[in-house]
Amino acid sequence: MRSTIILPILLGAAAALGGNSAPEKSVIQIYNFGQSVAWDAPWRFTGVGRSTGTGFLIKGKRIMTNAHVVSWAKQILVRRYQDPRPYAAKVKFIGHDCDLAVLEVEDEAFFEGLEPLEVGELPKVRSTVITYGYPAGGEQISYTRGVVSRIELQTYVHIGNLAFLGVQTDAAINPGNSGGPVIQEGMVVGVAFQGATGLENTGFFIPPSVINHFLKDVEDGTYHGFPRAGIRVIALQNPAYRKSLGLAATGPGARVDLVLPSSAAKGILEEDDVILNVAGFDVGSDASIMYEGNRLNLTAGFHGAQHGDKVQVKILRKGQEQSVQVPMTVTEEEKMLSNQYDVLPRYYVYGGLIFTPLSIDYLRTLGRNWADSAGSEMFYELYYRRNEKPEVNRPEPIVLAGVLAHPVNANMKAQSRSLVSKINGKAITKLEDVVEALAQPGVKEHLIEFLQNDGVECLSRDEADQANPKILKTYGITKDRRL
Amino acid sequence: MIQLPLSMRLTLALLIALAPLGTMARSTRDDAQSVMRPSLVELEVARKLFDYQTPWTRTSGNLRKSALVVSADQVLTTADGLSNLTLMRAQRDGRGKYYEASVVWVDYHANLALVKVEDSSFWKGLKPVELLTKVSPSDEFQVHRWKGGNMESRKAEFSQVVVRQSKLSLYDFAQFELTTEMTAAGWGEPVMVGNKLAGLLTSQARNTATLMPAPFIRHVLDAHKKGSFAGMGFFDFTWQPTENPAIHRRYEFPGEPRGVLVIDGAKLNGQTNVIQRGDIIVQVDGFDIDTQGNYLDPMFGRLLLENLSTRQHFAGDQVPIKIWRHGKWAEVRFRLPKVDYGIRQVPEHQFDQEPEYLILGGLVFQPLTGPYLRRWQDYYNEATAPFRLNYYKNDAPTKDRSGLVVLSNVLPDPYNLGYQDQHSPLVVSQINGRTVSNLKDLAEALRQPKDGYHVIQYMKSDNIKRMVVDAEGAAAATKRVLERYGIENDRFLAGTAGK
Repeated sequence: MRSTIILPILLGAAAALGGNSAPEKSVIQIYNFGQSVAWDAPWRFTGVGRSTGTGFLIKGKRIMTNAHVVSWAKQILVRRYQDPRPYAAKVKFIGHDCDLAVLEVEDEAFFEGLEPLEVGELPKVRSTVITYGYPAGGEQISYTRGVVSRIELQTYVHIGNLAFLGVQTDAAINPGNSGGPVIQEGMVVGVAFQGATGLENTGFFIPPSVINHFLKDVEDGTYHGFPRAGIRVIALQNPAYRKSLGLAATGPGARVDLVLPSSAAKGILEEDDVILNVAGFDVGSDASIMYEGNRLNLTAGFHGAQHGDKVQVKILRKGQEQSVQVPMTVTEEEKMLSNQYDVLPRYYVYGGLIFTPLSIDYLRTLGRNWADSAGSEMFYELYYRRNEKPEVNRPEPIVLAGVLAHPVNANMKAQSRSLVSKINGKAITKLEDVVEALAQPGVKEHLIEFLQNDGVECLSRDEADQANPKILKTYGITKDRRL
Repeated sequence: MIQLPLSMRLTLALLIALAPLGTMARSTRDDAQSVMRPSLVELEVARKLFDYQTPWTRTSGNLRKSALVVSADQVLTTADGLSNLTLMRAQRDGRGKYYEASVVWVDYHANLALVKVEDSSFWKGLKPVELLTKVSPSDEFQVHRWKGGNMESRKAEFSQVVVRQSKLSLYDFAQFELTTEMTAAGWGEPVMVGNKLAGLLTSQARNTATLMPAPFIRHVLDAHKKGSFAGMGFFDFTWQPTENPAIHRRYEFPGEPRGVLVIDGAKLNGQTNVIQRGDIIVQVDGFDIDTQGNYLDPMFGRLLLENLSTRQHFAGDQVPIKIWRHGKWAEVRFRLPKVDYGIRQVPEHQFDQEPEYLILGGLVFQPLTGPYLRRWQDYYNEATAPFRLNYYKNDAPTKDRSGLVVLSNVLPDPYNLGYQDQHSPLVVSQINGRTVSNLKDLAEALRQPKDGYHVIQYMKSDNIKRMVVDAEGAAAATKRVLERYGIENDRFLAGTAGK
């Protein structure tokens, strides 16, 4: 079977009429000189990489592009259409969840003669769009025409674990197109952002609703992100189940199967509530809504809300219809399940032991089969424990990411790359706990306990204290911690 | 005079010199084969095989095993492959007549079985083989089996002694790794030293075969003969090496570092106080334990302490253990628990038992077992079963839950409309408010619907948490599903003869 992998595309896009008769003049080529970090040696940066993408001018002298085009940037250069001069740019706002970013250019000369592009409406399926950009294969701007093939929720691969509205087109979207405008009648109807290997003529762009959500979010000077309701709603089509909830055997309404313990909707929505309407959209028995002519999962109905908003939801509970206001919040809790960017990982190095928070980025350092190598404890901790065993208060699980070889730790063979449970009897729930536990007075031999197999390791305090500076020097670590 | 080139002269000289040796090697092999001929037997085993995707279906399979005459009317073989057998026949001399055979005694944990043939003509001229009391790495091993009517005899070279989990069980014991050119072995082929049995082969990976040594076999068979075989025992605590001297300092261990640190205490046989987390074990059954967990075995040298649970003991025996606990020495007597597949919520094996299932209007429920989990490897060629199932694999039974049941499949029907796309197995938590540990619990729970519905609650997962189906229409739906999908019975529960 041929596998399908959706990839972000670092490139640009196409041509049009209407709102702006020469949109290509407002299409910008972006060069990112970036450097990310080694997640298992978190003080260390990777080599500097150069990548290119596309952006376009929007009102307010801002350049819109994809977040993945400018992630981990050390320096960003932008070039205008048919203009050889590079200009320095900076990230003003970046939304890694929706893969959008806004750049600023200090040099006013950059904007001379440029007209901002305007964001239009969600294009219709089967309508024609043109992508503009600077994809691989040449230096000049490229235009590709295609039709809108499908509109539904898509996983945004840059963040990895979230799905928002995405538009599929058969217009070629290739590496370098990323961040480029998708134009229909002179208006921006999308931002090209990812493609699918294994499928032919399949590219995806971010629709106006997501673009506008991002732009509205940053109006107060801070990007919060897309909030979530923290519930799982599933289809309600079994006649007996429907009857047991006071519904006809067939008809609308989907069922709340789970309210996450951390959800702001806890106490407002309950399991077995039947969702009849979300933000004005009627909900079908398959947990879908009709959104501008497209049947989408009802989560799309929540996507219009900003952090702190409330969404009106009509429910049927114990046979009674009622309306509730569901608070929508952005939480940090799910962060370790998302790909992380532009934030340097926290760490603490002591006696050659490298402690760092558990994250999906860290686990990827275990290799291609990281899901198997990580072991069930680590996997469960990463994906499920927060919601399934919230009574175990571990907001930031800590792993022993590695051991920098030195005589002081030479005999510690058993537990590298393990989740830390306790140090000197203190439960480890965040990185600061590690620092605190190792600083406890009166301890001669540190006792480190691990979650996997309940194993333990010991480390002589005097020897470790003495060895610390030498270990840091040997391995070129300028600071023993980033808290 | 014809002068031969130097190279040819050398070749001839070598051939002349080697000729007597070749004759000698052949003669040794012939001698060995003449010893084996009246003792080596081949078993043809026909058995039922099950598809855990459709547990109501059966297919048949055949395999051939080796066995060795060990008494006037019994042959010895491994237990592997003897479960769910429908017909077993024995053949002598590698050809000719087959004789119906039956299992006299089998222990899957020990991986040993004794087989008899009623027809006395089978035994004429057959000769029992003696089991070695001691097997040494320096012995010269020969492995034999019948193959295509001839005896295949190959040399086997000692590679190492390993303390490793028994092929069909959960305890560890000392086994030999041998290198041999014989292929696809591991089905009870006898390995001989001279005319005595050094052990039986239990598995093979490439050219490395695993030998169950004769002293272990003798130990088990002698106990069986005496009627004192209580089953295999094991240590149900977990330890880690203490090569890190800081561990000893932390635990204020006196003197030179030695022993191993217990990281998960004993739980079975009510022995939670006997071996506890934090104990340092320094001696087991009179043998000193080093920091890597080894003791000096009189026969095999340095071995992991796990071997001391089977070396001279069986389940129920008391093993003296010396420990360092809370800054004091203590001598405890550890009563060896009997190894049993039920020590885990997900039993690793199920021998001589057909797969259980229960169908409720197209919802197929099965116990979560090792064979069920292995279907992902057997049928889908995947490394492991889904995480949400594997996660429970090593859990011990609790007071509230002895085992687990999964919704393994949905056979689409109007009754289960809305659940037909449920492809991932779900672990059942409760049905109608009753905890479900096995299918008997499930059947019982279905007798007590809630307000006319069956409410099925699943363990937490990424998937649906609850299903509700109609109780009244269940019987008719189940009947319809059985007819439509060609299934004879709606259930097979162990010990209920099909209903």
